[in-house]
Amino acid sequence: MTPAPDTLGSRRDSIVFVLCLLLSVVARLAPPAVQAPIADAIVHSVLAPFLYLQEQTEVVRASRSRYLATVGLRDSVLTRAMTVEGLELENQRLRSLLGLSRRLAVRHVSAELLHQALPTASLAARLSVGEDAGVAVGAPVITPQGLLGVVQSVSRNQALALLWTHPDFRVSAMTRDGSVFGIAAPRGSSGPNAMVLELRGVPYQQEVPLGTAVYTSGLGGTDGVYPRGIPVGTIIDIGEEQEGWSRTYIVRAAVAPASVSHAIILTGPAVDIRTAFTEAEGIP
Amino acid sequence: MIGGARFRLVAVLLLLVTLHFLLRPFLGDARIAPDLLLLALMIYAIQARPGDAAIAGFVVGLVADALTPVAFGAGALAHTCVGYLAAWGKAVFFAESIPVSAGFFLAGTWLRDLVVLLAGRHLGERMLLWQLAVWSPLKALTTAVAGVIVLALFRRWLGVRSTG
Repeated sequence: MTPAPDTLGSRRDSIVFVLCLLLSVVARLAPPAVQAPIADAIVHSVLAPFLYLQEQTEVVRASRSRYLATVGLRDSVLTRAMTVEGLELENQRLRSLLGLSRRLAVRHVSAELLHQALPTASLAARLSVGEDAGVAVGAPVITPQGLLGVVQSVSRNQALALLWTHPDFRVSAMTRDGSVFGIAAPRGSSGPNAMVLELRGVPYQQEVPLGTAVYTSGLGGTDGVYPRGIPVGTIIDIGEEQEGWSRTYIVRAAVAPASVSHAIILTGPAVDIRTAFTEAEGIP
Repeated sequence: MIGGARFRLVAVLLLLVTLHFLLRPFLGDARIAPDLLLLALMIYAIQARPGDAAIAGFVVGLVADALTPVAFGAGALAHTCVGYLAAWGKAVFFAESIPVSAGFFLAGTWLRDLVVLLAGRHLGERMLLWQLAVWSPLKALTTAVAGVIVLALFRRWLGVRSTG
């Protein structure tokens, strides 16, 4: 007996669906060494013109903000227009980014963050510069407020940054005077307020007052991934305690990734850059 | 689907894909901004056979995964499911009307986020709940609103009815 055309069509649909599901599962389970080249190939072929478009739109948006800021400073009549909160914030960000850029004594490049739509986009971000600009894997990504993340992979004209919110993110951190050291990592699953870090492994005897600023320590082997002195956040609470052994402190991150549209990638050797941040805050 | 209608559908989909990248910097917080790429997939899915919609979903998912390779493959899995279910649901619910389509867009966006987050397994339990209870519904809402606008603007091109 020959099956009806509709039944055949329906069977074909089901087979195609299952096949697509299987391919998706294979892609999900594939090792990163296989996934990365596929993602790169897609980004640099079909997506290249669209990402170029997005990058140019970001540039246009930033240029427009800069233009408005200049006009606003020159013409006092237009300063009223600058009170629009969003615009003011954007101008502030751009000005502080330019200020930080001048103060940094290490080689660096500026980049736009190309925000994407998937819910996992809060864990990683695509940056508008790549190898051509001297960006390498492991380069720290910072903003005027502090540490944003680290470059995970890089291609000719783009890079992918792992943000501090990613569960795999770790950074060796210290207090400003260098008396207390620990490992800062995202707190992760501690609830809606989980957009915070925790400073782990602080010796029990070393009490750190709430409100203490935490910086990168510059430790981490000869690669020196993070230079010493990038603000990581501020201690806001005491977390878990291992009696007589160590404490964990809750740290409010210096940077909120969702609000970042521009960043700086450090491309030079890891030197102490504390003053680049503290000068702006008036800290001696 | 005949030649003219197919051409018009492709034109609308291309427009949506372009706008997805062009407008993203202006749409504010990425957690609640409408996902026009997913919207394009769902508009295609409610006009296509489930198998074709599943393939389209797989392709769109791979593209989304390539853009944010935090959980590569999770996007492909999620978009495949959404594409297939949207096409299958069309046959059951007659989604050629704008209100029903809006419901599809809302449910489809939330379902996509659910599958991506579950398959990605990068968020803790409470963060997952927060994402699914707050950010994903808001994103689903903005995507549905964008979908209604697109369907209203291109009603004749896409052959949809304005009422249920």
